[in-house]
Amino acid sequence: MNRPTVHLAQRWHFPTPELRTLPNGMRAQVFHLPGQHVAALELVLPTPLAAEPRGLEGVATVALTAIDEGTVAHPDGRISELLELQGASVHGVTLQTSTRLGTDAPAHRLPEVTTLFAEVLSSPAYTTDDVAHHVGLQVATHDSLEASPGAVAKRAFRSALFGRDAREGRPAAGTPETLAAIRRDDVVAWHQRHWIPDGATVILAGDLSSVDVDEVLAPIGAWPVGGTAAPRSAAPPLAPSVVIADMPDAVQATVQVGCLTPGRRHPHWAALKLAGHAITGAFASRLNLELRERLGYTYGVQGGFGARRSDGQFNAGSSFRTEVAADAVARILQGLELHAPFTELEVSDARAFLLGVAPLANETASDIARQASVLAAADEDPTFVNEHFERLEEPSAADVTAAFREHVRPDRVTIAVSGNASELEPALRAVGLDPVVLDSAG
Amino acid sequence: MTTGPELAYELATHTLGNGLQVCVQPDPQAPAVAVNLWYEVGSYDEQPGRSGFAHLFEHLMFQGSRDVASGEHMAGVEAVGGSVNATTSTDRTNYFETVPVGALELSLWLEANRMDSLAITQANFDAQVEVVKEEKRQRYDNQPYGDLFELLVAHHFDATHPYGHLPIGSMQDLDDAGLGDVQAFFDAWYRPSNARLVLSGNVAVDQAIELVERHFGSLPALPRPQHAEAPPALSAPMVTRVSRNVPHSLLYASWPTPPAAHVDQLALDIALAILTDGHTSRLHRALVRSRNVAEEVHSASLLHLRAGSVATLLARPADGVPTDAVAEALREELAAFTVTGPTEEELARARAQFERDWLLDLATVEARADMINDSWLTHGDPTRVNLRLAELAALTPEDVRRVVGQHLGPAPSELHYLAKESSR
Repeated sequence: MNRPTVHLAQRWHFPTPELRTLPNGMRAQVFHLPGQHVAALELVLPTPLAAEPRGLEGVATVALTAIDEGTVAHPDGRISELLELQGASVHGVTLQTSTRLGTDAPAHRLPEVTTLFAEVLSSPAYTTDDVAHHVGLQVATHDSLEASPGAVAKRAFRSALFGRDAREGRPAAGTPETLAAIRRDDVVAWHQRHWIPDGATVILAGDLSSVDVDEVLAPIGAWPVGGTAAPRSAAPPLAPSVVIADMPDAVQATVQVGCLTPGRRHPHWAALKLAGHAITGAFASRLNLELRERLGYTYGVQGGFGARRSDGQFNAGSSFRTEVAADAVARILQGLELHAPFTELEVSDARAFLLGVAPLANETASDIARQASVLAAADEDPTFVNEHFERLEEPSAADVTAAFREHVRPDRVTIAVSGNASELEPALRAVGLDPVVLDSAG
Repeated sequence: MTTGPELAYELATHTLGNGLQVCVQPDPQAPAVAVNLWYEVGSYDEQPGRSGFAHLFEHLMFQGSRDVASGEHMAGVEAVGGSVNATTSTDRTNYFETVPVGALELSLWLEANRMDSLAITQANFDAQVEVVKEEKRQRYDNQPYGDLFELLVAHHFDATHPYGHLPIGSMQDLDDAGLGDVQAFFDAWYRPSNARLVLSGNVAVDQAIELVERHFGSLPALPRPQHAEAPPALSAPMVTRVSRNVPHSLLYASWPTPPAAHVDQLALDIALAILTDGHTSRLHRALVRSRNVAEEVHSASLLHLRAGSVATLLARPADGVPTDAVAEALREELAAFTVTGPTEEELARARAQFERDWLLDLATVEARADMINDSWLTHGDPTRVNLRLAELAALTPEDVRRVVGQHLGPAPSELHYLAKESSR
């Protein structure tokens, strides 16, 4: 039987939301998705972690994670029980320039769910015990991350890229010292100041045929206005460096290589996304084929270009057994030099993947709501996705090569490695790098 | 699809002359087709001294066949905008692609080609042994608590039991494996009669079956391989204490439970959710909020097809509280639960959560195809996915109380995984 030929159908399009402005000024995006009976709701607040008092870092995270422990009207966990009874689950995340709180729930129960959800937003009880418990959980999470080589490498990378004087260079959820200083009043004050409708967006996605959307959004739109959102800014990166976070017992070296780049609105963005897939994003990427399939150095190499709010970041990461790690890093840097330009085949494969995988990555209401909330957090419109798909068609292999060479310079990347420093430090030196071993405060 | 307990996914089954079983779940709204192939072989079926081989073999299946070069399977599916991967557990090895409709035939051809023939070179074999060793390091050896799962399994299965080792295997056995083992393993297990193929997504039943016949129909009919009889699991509870360089001490209580297909497993699943899911759960309220002996509680089940499964409860003690005190509090709370059972509301909450998760899982063709195959292997019936929510709706508080009393008795095995003093 001969190899079948592939017939690819029309390009998939990201759905277009109905846009609304709620009575309290919040923007709402409503995605009508027939057949999606588990609906998703996401609230996006434009809150920067840089607004946290330096000595209380982690307060934004605690204010988020403790928010559904109880409300004034339904204290002591009752609010969560009521949400659970409706089949709703609540999740959230605090990022450098946004905080998100969301819920997945059966679409036909949305009116009840958003009523409870609005209660969570607007009147959390934040008891002293709940705050203390969530502070304790964050300290435990911090300690767990400090013991995890992947997290240590990522943390060391951010610290080397931005420096510890920048909020982005320090742990997002604070440190045991700053967490220990957080009291109930601090959490309440953070909530009052930053959990406000100003600048916030709500995204609703699902099969909404059985509900009245006005009724579903009404409780969110009734969230009282109070104050204006804090301004957001971005820290400039430091000069590139090579750092080692010492984990003496580690049997692998976990490596992060990367740099800041232009972001979504740069004319090269589509070319960079194609380049990222070809060099490190795909299974058949250059780095994965070399380091995994040919040399057996690693279980796999991951990375590519990720958009941040106003710029972007290139990243390649992997774990290697310690004895080959320095050679692996040297080969990554060599690969980034792009001695051989990208071929038309590499670029067309990357294009086919990025366009073809989009419907798979956006199959559920949660997927759509998550993608829309990432864009909303960056002040981008959901139409960006389809515009980006169109731009992916444009660059030639020469364009992709030129864009990558311009924005990722192997002599200008930051490298962070977690692992056994006594072996890694001389080995990295032997391949021509000049690593600094970080002190234990990482 | 409907909401509520009545699910009605269309499922059509067909068996090829060579024994390959096919199930098609057509979904005209789906953006793609999921191809999900389960071979009924896993770490349970490994020979002594060859632990980890079923999983290593999974890697080798991507290293080339008669008409497909090494790495071309992955690259070819990615290049049409598809996703592709494979996983190995104790009882099955799962290969899956999710592809645009126009690439369905390519995906079937790739799977049929490697079911029919393998072409592994010594160099590819050697590289994949190293890749799997790096996977083991990355997932286990270089992680805090990396040996926890292994210690837990040892409470319930002797090291010589087919379930007594992890699918990732041992470094020694991976080093000892040779190219000669590859063909023998392939010949023993990889054949149409030992596989189930599920297609879920935007393809009609007739067309799907015609394509499967076209690409798999000429493969030889070979008898269905037999699996070894499962020796009994260990029955006496064990208590193990280990001291490791980890951030926190943990207490794991675990119990032998029935095989995956047993009717009690659903009630046990719901019982574990009522006991530990979220901050409203029974044990969180009791151990974390009221008694202040723990900071968090969780649960998990390790399901096995051919012998006993394992249910676990995990607690992280509060600062200064010994794991023994947490274990005692846990036993007391469980004993109380076996008397009162859950409230109607606790059961309703757990049911509503299960239902949402179940529907959410079924919302993607990739996960849906996998759940259909899981139903098929576990219960011998792919249509069980349509019945799960009705079975859930039929559960009573008494069912939940009974299974906890019957299976999560007063003397669990206990793993006291202790943080060394110096580590914090």
